[in-house]
Amino acid sequence: MNRIAALAPFRERLPTYLSMLGGLLVTIYVLAPFSWLVLTSFMHEQDALSVPPQWIPANPTLSNYLTFFDPTGTRAVVGSRAAEQTLPSMANSLIAAGGTAALNVILGALAGYSLARITFRGRGTLLGLYLGSRMLPGIALIVPLYLTIRTYGLLDHLSALVITYLTFTLPFTIWLLKSYFQAIPRALEEAALIDGCNWGQMFWHVLLPAASPGLVAAAMFSFMTAWNDYLFAVILTSTIASKTMPVVVAGFATDVTTERTLMAASGVLAVIPPLLLAFLFQRLIVQGLTSGAVKD
Amino acid sequence: MQDRATKSDGRADRWRVSAVGYERPYFAFLLNTPALLVIVLLAGYPIVYSAWISLHKYSLKRPRVFDFIGLGNYRQIIESEEFWSALWITLEFTGLAVALVVLLGLAIALLLNRDFPGRDVVRTLILLPWAIPPVVNGLMWQWIYDSKVGALNGLLVSLGFISEYRGWLSDPISALLALVCADVWNAMPLAVILLLAALQRIPVELYDAARVDGGGPFQLFWYVTFPWLAQPLLIVLILQTLSAIRAFDVIYVLTAGGPGTATTTLTWKTFLTTFDSLDFGLGNAYAYTVSMITLCLALVYFRVLYRRGDFEA
Repeated sequence: MNRIAALAPFRERLPTYLSMLGGLLVTIYVLAPFSWLVLTSFMHEQDALSVPPQWIPANPTLSNYLTFFDPTGTRAVVGSRAAEQTLPSMANSLIAAGGTAALNVILGALAGYSLARITFRGRGTLLGLYLGSRMLPGIALIVPLYLTIRTYGLLDHLSALVITYLTFTLPFTIWLLKSYFQAIPRALEEAALIDGCNWGQMFWHVLLPAASPGLVAAAMFSFMTAWNDYLFAVILTSTIASKTMPVVVAGFATDVTTERTLMAASGVLAVIPPLLLAFLFQRLIVQGLTSGAVKD
Repeated sequence: MQDRATKSDGRADRWRVSAVGYERPYFAFLLNTPALLVIVLLAGYPIVYSAWISLHKYSLKRPRVFDFIGLGNYRQIIESEEFWSALWITLEFTGLAVALVVLLGLAIALLLNRDFPGRDVVRTLILLPWAIPPVVNGLMWQWIYDSKVGALNGLLVSLGFISEYRGWLSDPISALLALVCADVWNAMPLAVILLLAALQRIPVELYDAARVDGGGPFQLFWYVTFPWLAQPLLIVLILQTLSAIRAFDVIYVLTAGGPGTATTTLTWKTFLTTFDSLDFGLGNAYAYTVSMITLCLALVYFRVLYRRGDFEA
């Protein structure tokens, strides 16, 4: 009797223990590959090349990160390109992704509002057009885009990247903001108009603040899409004047002369902005991804 | 759905200018103009231009030649062995990646829908792979798979599963599998998020009712959970298929289509033809072939999304 009584709580809790074990496995699956990249970035090159691998750096160092700030130093000689290009390309990426996000919110809010509120002929067609353009594979657009951008002399300009990314991110933004605007009660804007606001004032002072979580989500998604892009960046940029981080990082991957630890450090730097956004705005991301893919 | 309320009945209504602006079609078009301009100029125009180029003999190696050859490029594609090989590899890669993402995504979503200590931490961490740029993801896995100093080799040897280091990316079969695993790691969180959101929408009362009726865990899953998951699962399936067909960055960094042509998918083949062989005519014909396949899948996606069912409420 006693033994059974002692076992009962355990049997009851078994599903919880199994779930925790599952959670642990998922955590390892998610964290392990990334941790290795992060740990490598704090290693000396000879430690990173050791067999068997050092799971924990024996002599952790910041030298890889410091090299980016001192591209002419001794350490930089072995990976001069990596050392010189990482920080400027990060700035380029920030400008391109930031510009894309800002334009997305402005253009997306206008179009999203009209689709959420106004009844007009062609509304369905427009919605379909926006949704459809999200489906085009980038590889199908790259050649004509390249030729067009070359004609206008905008190759290797960040503005060409921003406008290209805008095309890819805007449809999602419009759909996302449309659903956010739809969730705001109409009474709110009607009250503002009755109180004597004109449409512009109402939109700016009443509607946009009410939709601000949507605006933040839209800005974040477009920022991340632009930040992550490689295909367009590698074709449309050629020098450090406009090269973005993925282009520089992918460049190392095919370059045997750059030190592995240095590449790891620049890879980690490339991950920081999207990772920060993802964890800061977790709730918005989950909401946005769900409403962007599933709901009307 | 809220739009129904303001849907105008007659023509007169449609032109009425109300103070709020719900009935002003011109205003609506004005608001859409900037977005439309960008999309038409930078997506619409290129897609038409691309179709036009694909009907021509046009190579950057001989930039002055731009001869109309009708469907010549498409015939060349269909008759080439490279196309069929790339199509087959695309099917293999997509099939494996999608199956793994859906199974893994479903398993993790079901787990995270349970209540256990630490669940919220795992729910947050699951976003990590999603936030990693594909290029960095490729780089990260390249070192994990490395034949001389890679972590995978180190781990498997120290656990005794293999006796010596292997070149995971130099064997055709393991290279494809390695590529699939790297892509799955990056793509799995989206599936988890979408499926978890769907699971959370299932009313708890349904489970209670089924339990009262004597349903076991499998019956609960099959008769309660699964019907609510069918549509989101289909959506995940299609979205993942589209993204697997488009996979580019990770292939570029990890295998560059090799060894040989073992991981040369249609997207990678398109890129090679266009920017390596500089054959823009043929490259665009390849791009169009990929687009058509994607478009057919997208149409299915729209149908799933707009078939008003129990899920949408």
